Amino acid sequence: MFKKTLLLLALGAFASSAFGEEMEVVGNVQSKCVVTPDTAGVYGNPTPGSLDTDPTSGGVDPIVRYDVIQASFYKARIVHPNDFSEAPSLNDVVNWTGDTATTQVSDAGMSAYDAAKVEFDNVTEFDLTVAGSTWFKTESLAEYGYGKAFPAGVYRAVVVAECIAI
Amino acid sequence: MELRRLWAVLVLLVCSSYSYSEEAIYGTTANAADAGYNWVMTNVLPQQLGLSVNSVIYRYTTDKITEDDMLVHVQNENARGTGYIFRETDDWSGLEGNTINKTVPVNMIDISYWGAGSIEVEGAGSVLDPEVYYSYQYIPCEDPQSDATCPGYVDPTGAALIDDAIAQDTTSEEYIQAEIDRKANLQAQKDEEEKEAQEAFAKEKEEEILESLEVLLGYVNTNLMNEQSQVLHNALVATNYLPRSYFEAMVGGDYPETLVLKDSRLPDNKKGLRVGLASELKHKQLVDLQYD
Repeated sequence: MFKKTLLLLALGAFASSAFGEEMEVVGNVQSKCVVTPDTAGVYGNPTPGSLDTDPTSGGVDPIVRYDVIQASFYKARIVHPNDFSEAPSLNDVVNWTGDTATTQVSDAGMSAYDAAKVEFDNVTEFDLTVAGSTWFKTESLAEYGYGKAFPAGVYRAVVVAECIAI
Repeated sequence: MELRRLWAVLVLLVCSSYSYSEEAIYGTTANAADAGYNWVMTNVLPQQLGLSVNSVIYRYTTDKITEDDMLVHVQNENARGTGYIFRETDDWSGLEGNTINKTVPVNMIDISYWGAGSIEVEGAGSVLDPEVYYSYQYIPCEDPQSDATCPGYVDPTGAALIDDAIAQDTTSEEYIQAEIDRKANLQAQKDEEEKEAQEAFAKEKEEEILESLEVLLGYVNTNLMNEQSQVLHNALVATNYLPRSYFEAMVGGDYPETLVLKDSRLPDNKKGLRVGLASELKHKQLVDLQYD
């Protein structure tokens, strides 16, 4: 009788060890790259047929700041406009040009970003190889048709700034 | 019992935290490099005892040829020793010129260590538009002498001590009694002055009234006298006692002397001599009587 009991207990023990449990593992990853708009851009209208952010044309270049805590893990991708997000009805083509470059750095080493930047279409990419803050300035110029005047109204365009993990 | 202990501990904690909690003041200086590439920290940092610098923020633009070597030092000398208490170097060698905007944390370095500041360039190139700011913090009244409103402030002129001494004296019984006496004397003096003023006023008024009364009575008497004279005059006229000349007017003009005394010998009045001698004798008798 005692042996049976032991046997039953042993069987019970094996039976309980056969139950499964799921354990959750949680981890939070906070971005080590923060993109912050620094200066809002404004189009100047130096001639009837052009809209320009250059201060010499009465505009303001938009500036965005990238704060990178860890070096060489991210790249900055900045897309200058090639279309208006808001504009009066236009019946002619708009010729877009733009450029993005560093305007301020928190480390002298970041001054090399401009030489190493990659440009394609209206996209400019910078490898953020130095930890710290970098201010990027984007210039945008829109010219309407061939010496044609823009219709009166409000014009808006968007600069897209992203931080992409390498 | 446990609950009471817990409350006591909580109350003590709150009291102690209140007693020792002094709000630190944080601030940032003006641009130290506003006037040039060298600056004196006593003109930049507030001169507060216990002030410490948390970070140095600077910005400048380099003007250089990319291939050139260039080092830029932003620095502060160690005021309590040799070398630098803060020195940040940016190496622009082989790099394109740019604007640097940098915040360098420093580990709460006391104000006494911060010596002369400067921006120094090594190599080719120049620094444009330099801006240097110091972020600091301090606890007000850490030095009670820093502000007259601080608890424990002692007036270096000693005026406060005198005031305190006076304030202490005002609590003594002698001072209180003296103050009461002084006030009583003042009141008595004031009352006396008021009384004298009232008396003088009353006297003056009385004199004025008397003068007015005299004038009034004088007028009445004159009238009365005139009436009496008139009655007497009428009575005298009625009795025909008055001489005729009384009613005649006297013609005005000069009235020269009409009597002339002629020069001649005037004899002595012998009767007069006798009378004089008799008077003399009588006087002598009377004088002699008192010796007899």
